[in-house]
Amino acid sequence: MTGILSDIRVVELSATPSGAFCAKLLADQGADVAKVEPPAGDPARREPPLLQGASGDRQGSQFLAFNTNKRGVTLDASSDEGREALLGLIAGRDVLVEDFAPGHLDELGLGYETLRALNPRLIVVSITPFGQTGPYSAYKGGDLVAQAVGGFLYTTGESDRTPMGTALEQTHVAAARNGAIAVMGALLQREFTGEGQHVDVSIMEAVVSTPPAFIHQYSYTGAIAGRGFGEGNVMDGMHLPTADSDVTLTTAGTGGNPMQAWADFLDEPRLLDRRFATPRGRAEHAADLLELVQSKLRHRKAHEFMTDAMDRRLVVGVVQSPEEVADCPHLAERGTFVGIDHPLAGALRYPGPGFLIDGLNPMTGGRPAPRLGEHNAEVLGDEVGLTEQQISRLA
Amino acid sequence: MTNAKPLEGVRVLSLEQVHVLPWGTAFLADFGAQVVRVESAEHMNDRRSGPFPEGAPGEEWWNECGTFAYWARNKQSICLQVAHPLGKETFLRLVENADVVTDNFRPGTTARYGLDHDSLAAVKPDIITLSCTAYGHTGPWRAYGARARTVDAACGLSYLTGYEGGPSLRASANYMDHTGGLNVAYALLLALYRKRKTGQGARIDLSMYETGVSCIAPAILEAQRGVSRPRLGPSHLWRAPHNVYPCQGDDRWIAIAVSDDAEWHALRRAMDEPGWAADGSLDTVQIRHARRAELDAHIAEWTARQDSQELFHLLQSHGVPAGPVNTAKDLVSDEHLWRRDYFEVFDNPNTPHVGPRVFAGRPFRTPDIPLSLHLASALGQHNLDVLREMGGMTDSEIQHLADAGVLSTRPRVDDRPPADGRQRGAADRLYDPDYRQRAEDAMSAAR
Repeated sequence: MTGILSDIRVVELSATPSGAFCAKLLADQGADVAKVEPPAGDPARREPPLLQGASGDRQGSQFLAFNTNKRGVTLDASSDEGREALLGLIAGRDVLVEDFAPGHLDELGLGYETLRALNPRLIVVSITPFGQTGPYSAYKGGDLVAQAVGGFLYTTGESDRTPMGTALEQTHVAAARNGAIAVMGALLQREFTGEGQHVDVSIMEAVVSTPPAFIHQYSYTGAIAGRGFGEGNVMDGMHLPTADSDVTLTTAGTGGNPMQAWADFLDEPRLLDRRFATPRGRAEHAADLLELVQSKLRHRKAHEFMTDAMDRRLVVGVVQSPEEVADCPHLAERGTFVGIDHPLAGALRYPGPGFLIDGLNPMTGGRPAPRLGEHNAEVLGDEVGLTEQQISRLA
Repeated sequence: MTNAKPLEGVRVLSLEQVHVLPWGTAFLADFGAQVVRVESAEHMNDRRSGPFPEGAPGEEWWNECGTFAYWARNKQSICLQVAHPLGKETFLRLVENADVVTDNFRPGTTARYGLDHDSLAAVKPDIITLSCTAYGHTGPWRAYGARARTVDAACGLSYLTGYEGGPSLRASANYMDHTGGLNVAYALLLALYRKRKTGQGARIDLSMYETGVSCIAPAILEAQRGVSRPRLGPSHLWRAPHNVYPCQGDDRWIAIAVSDDAEWHALRRAMDEPGWAADGSLDTVQIRHARRAELDAHIAEWTARQDSQELFHLLQSHGVPAGPVNTAKDLVSDEHLWRRDYFEVFDNPNTPHVGPRVFAGRPFRTPDIPLSLHLASALGQHNLDVLREMGGMTDSEIQHLADAGVLSTRPRVDDRPPADGRQRGAADRLYDPDYRQRAEDAMSAAR
């Protein structure tokens, strides 16, 4: 299956998950992405957790996950020959995705003005912690720092404990998704103008933009969003243990009368106690309410409970482990996962993009993350025109 | 060189509510598409969700809601009862001249009204439709409803989140709406790109659950090999020191995230080479990670005496990745963000008494595509324009719709939200009485 972006050619120079994930979003839709790594390889190849294939070789899980459908090229961009080769590659491409510190590409002689002179149609997407401009542009920071400065960290965790944060570098995921949106905007714009542009994505700003009402809630009312969302909220927020996994209830789908609906469903008339009739009452008497609900959940299995409740139009969630997600029958029927066999890491099922187009997962027929320098000959040789000898000197 | 925006001429009809779909279609509006939000006079949930200026809904509260402006950013509004036969007929006339139709009802709803992809494609063969649902239109869970947090639970992110050694604790009430909305925008842009190349329409079935799964792809691969990730709060799987440390003042913190040995040495220098840090065995990340509780205690003792903003600049000047744990109040005064032109200052011409307010902006700059929040439509503000131009309707036809009660500019239900002053900031530290002045000062400093 040829993807929607099969006529788009991308170069990726990335050292963080933001650039890798952004280029993956394009690659998984058919773009030809040349991932350029230093001769030692993207450090993510060696970062735990490492997954081992039958051959005994190990690869970082994030490297595997975020580099599907790309071709791998190695060269040392700080050498003269490496820079020339890279310029040769970029000359014929549509998009450059990069996530180095602002100014780093200039130091390598690969600054935006140079690239634009070489290839005016080129769209450069730079994803950095604080953006290309402004007083903090030279500052450093990974996921945790972005969560902090962007205001997300302050609002996560329990109200009387330290800020907690979220898992798996979601700040980079958010910035990467914004980057891919900007690339599409720039590609469509180029149809009119014939010219590329330099897109500046700030991870900090991607975080500030995340909560639904964080900034304007303050500017409208002076309220400052804090931690502890859902704390003590038995019917609408807390995670509640069952016989196996945790579940979370909601008051959605109850026709505006949540306690009646839940009393009927759980067969627990004591939930109709006046004390629990309003959200405020439920918060004040949370301990008593929790005990009533818990006693009904304790012996239920989470997935059976969910199916029973959802079949009655109630809305609940099971706190599924990644194992349960990987084995989820619903996802299997939807064709969410794409089986890909990596020569070093073995066969694994990879999540698709989250949408079907015309009923099909667009990632079908996917290729594994490249081995180090796997496509040097076809990219640097066939495309850029280097000799075998030149290629081996670079890599 | 033309100044046309990339989606100039693209027309989108959106049957949207709450967060996820509106968040996605707003990007199309930013890129120049005419996005028409099709609203029902009987469902004011999004327009009554707040915040209202100073916490008090005014006379025309349905046009004053801050979050509505954020989600409906740059979209037009028509208030048309699509469930009414005349409304449906009118909607289908609009579809004839539309490129994209989106909805986020539960699967089956649009089919019940005769507005599913096949029905629309019968009217407009190259239509692009996107239906954004919790679990998608196929599979055993397709009819199930959701809130963003039940999807956060289902997709595995909640399970992976929590304090070290503690139970699962969701980090966000709405992250799934947000990341789902970004995916909506991406999927629609892909379909529009294909349409420009091939003329084809598309049927997009977007699942919030599956979008969530794609956000934690590394953990999904690990799970297939029996590798499980512990919950670590702000700590890292193998880097150290990497945590949140207390600072001077009430509930003030700084995040410090050392990613390699050079940054560890930089941190030592920033701390003025304390004796406890001189231990050479700490030069390897494995040892630092094994002894991270001890390191964290020492660092916390050092940070606790300092101001988080000053410490931020000190640490960064030494090359240590660090950042203050900012609140909304901190951010609205943040010089860096103002200098980067990040915030939107929006003074809605539909509600002049509200005055200018600060909104979060877009996290990217596309120099050839200027982006700004310039429109938050009043209910039904574009009834006439859209029905005339997109629907090709005459004024008497439009008047007929209004007379039949199918078209309006006011809510049909008396659904006035309560005044709640401070909204949800219960503790004093969660309320700033000087917020208007502070925003004012920041805006004028930026000018």
